[in-house]
Amino acid sequence: MSDLRIVHLYAAHMNIYGDAGNVICLKRRLAWRGIGVEVAFVEVGDPFDFSGADIVVAGGGEDRAQVEVAADLVGRSAAIHEAVRDGVVFLTVCGTYQLFGRRFVTVGGQELPGIGVFAAETFGGTRRMIGNVVVEAPWGRLVGFENHSGRTVLDAGQESLGRVVRGHGNDGDSGEEGAVTENCFGTYLHGSVLPKNPHFADELIRRALRHRHGDDVTLDPLDDHLELTAADVAADRP
Amino acid sequence: MIRLVLAIVVGRLVGRLSRLLGRGGSAIPGLVAARICPTVIDRLAGKLPDGVVVVTGTNGKTTTTKLLVTALDAAGTRVITNPTGSNLERGVATVLIERATVRGRPRDDMAVFEVDEAALRTMAPRVRPRLVVVTNLARDQLDRYGELDTTAGHIASALVHAGSSLLNADDPKVAALADGSSSFFGAVADIRHLMPPDDALYSSAAVRDPSISPAVEVTTVEPLDGGGQVVGLATRTGAVTVRLAVPGVYNADNAAAALGAAMALGVGAEVAAAAFEQMTPPFGRGQVIEYQGRRVVVVLVKNPSGLNQAVRLLGAVDRPGQVLIAINDEHADGRDVSWLWDARVEELAGTGHRFGASGTRATDMALRLKYAGIDAWHDADLERAVERAVTAAEAGDTVYIVPTYTAMLRLLGILLPGVPRHEVWA
Repeated sequence: MSDLRIVHLYAAHMNIYGDAGNVICLKRRLAWRGIGVEVAFVEVGDPFDFSGADIVVAGGGEDRAQVEVAADLVGRSAAIHEAVRDGVVFLTVCGTYQLFGRRFVTVGGQELPGIGVFAAETFGGTRRMIGNVVVEAPWGRLVGFENHSGRTVLDAGQESLGRVVRGHGNDGDSGEEGAVTENCFGTYLHGSVLPKNPHFADELIRRALRHRHGDDVTLDPLDDHLELTAADVAADRP
Repeated sequence: MIRLVLAIVVGRLVGRLSRLLGRGGSAIPGLVAARICPTVIDRLAGKLPDGVVVVTGTNGKTTTTKLLVTALDAAGTRVITNPTGSNLERGVATVLIERATVRGRPRDDMAVFEVDEAALRTMAPRVRPRLVVVTNLARDQLDRYGELDTTAGHIASALVHAGSSLLNADDPKVAALADGSSSFFGAVADIRHLMPPDDALYSSAAVRDPSISPAVEVTTVEPLDGGGQVVGLATRTGAVTVRLAVPGVYNADNAAAALGAAMALGVGAEVAAAAFEQMTPPFGRGQVIEYQGRRVVVVLVKNPSGLNQAVRLLGAVDRPGQVLIAINDEHADGRDVSWLWDARVEELAGTGHRFGASGTRATDMALRLKYAGIDAWHDADLERAVERAVTAAEAGDTVYIVPTYTAMLRLLGILLPGVPRHEVWA
């Protein structure tokens, strides 16, 4: 089996909340199963053709970095839309999740263009939504930590990642968290999100293998006792 | 005037009561005094004949402050300072009222205050520091402090009220704060790369602005067998060598900051360097403690750059030992533990140490180690975890304990029971 190709997008700009842990987690879980993996880094300005990627991972960043990334992302819009249609797996967290919607309007009224993979818009707010989050997703519970003032509003018909059981989620009102379009996932969950949610990590891996090889794959089970215990602990912390 | 006197008298009384009840008392007296006389800090700080020096930044505040105070003491300056952990306005107010005469006259020449990065913005116009030392700026408890750019903005607005500043030449976010009154400390390239600034966590972007020429620079660092290190420092008046009781290149950097500050305040390099050797390390900053016949070294971590420093320290020791990493997520630690994934924990694999995890987030730390390829046991109960690590250590082994802030305070009670907090400079 040829190696899976993970792309860490904007690692230098969008890395403020430990989101690099998502790449560490995917690499380990692939390695434990004997599946080869190769990680490429794509930064602002780097030429890149997304058709060669299997999983693209991107994180959250500070406001200034997000402005730079927004400008760069617009130039990649067509390539990313094509990759999403083609079934490439994306995991976008916080700041990049916001930019994968149509637009982000800041508190000051400044508008950052998004690329509209998600039928969603984000509006800057004055209230920060901070704390541990528990979400019920179709394939299990997700536990993470959110820290955002942007309120993301999904269009009717845009699928969310799951229902908020505890915490704020997309906007603090709708009870929805994150968004899913094809194999492209958006979420506000840091933590990092994948290590404590191994079924989510494996869902991404399964979809990536299907994208690469064209048929369904059964993953060898791993001992996830520590992962799930850590998630239980986090779900109960203030 | 009457309000000021009342603030001093009542504040002190409250402090004495609080200590009688066994509650420490580094915050409440200041809070009460400021309630009675809102300008208590401004008025008392303004009367210190040699002014106020402030040390701020993400990491290294406590050690830098303590080194500087030791040097000023040695030069014959009567200097007051705040205990660490009391680095907000109320802590500063407490120290000022405790040391002033009842009529509000100072007994001392100068104050050196360690001040929280976020609290500095409102404190600076009140104490009007003659010098502000900025150690470094790194991501830290983002759920409490918010963005790093915001913190840098707070410090920039505070520097407007300062006479001059001493800045880290090798941290681009700090160096960018410079104005005409700024001077710098730093480390030579070989040593600098061991302390990458926040910008360099995920890229190799950070390089020193070539136009900056530091007043004090770390030139050599040599770890000592029994703990501590010998540090070479270049200054404008010649080179000095310092024997520090605290290990780690970042403490060499703190020494450069303290020496730069001491010299800017008129203390000779030789006098300061000799004084640094007398400094007893603050608790949790890497000194060796004897506990149940074992050597225990406690290294406080609060954020990824601190954890990276601890990782580097653990990788550099000659003989593998027991390592216990205790991660709490109380308010003072930050509720979000995502930062564990920003640190280079992978570098601990292959060091030969045995690992355990503790604290309210013991499982998160054990998980971080697991994904770094390292087996670790975990026990959220700190007392039991310390017992387990110490028991596992063989004679001559060292136990390294790496706690977050509130875990460190609990650790103090376990390792040094009966010793009051304010006497250990935690």
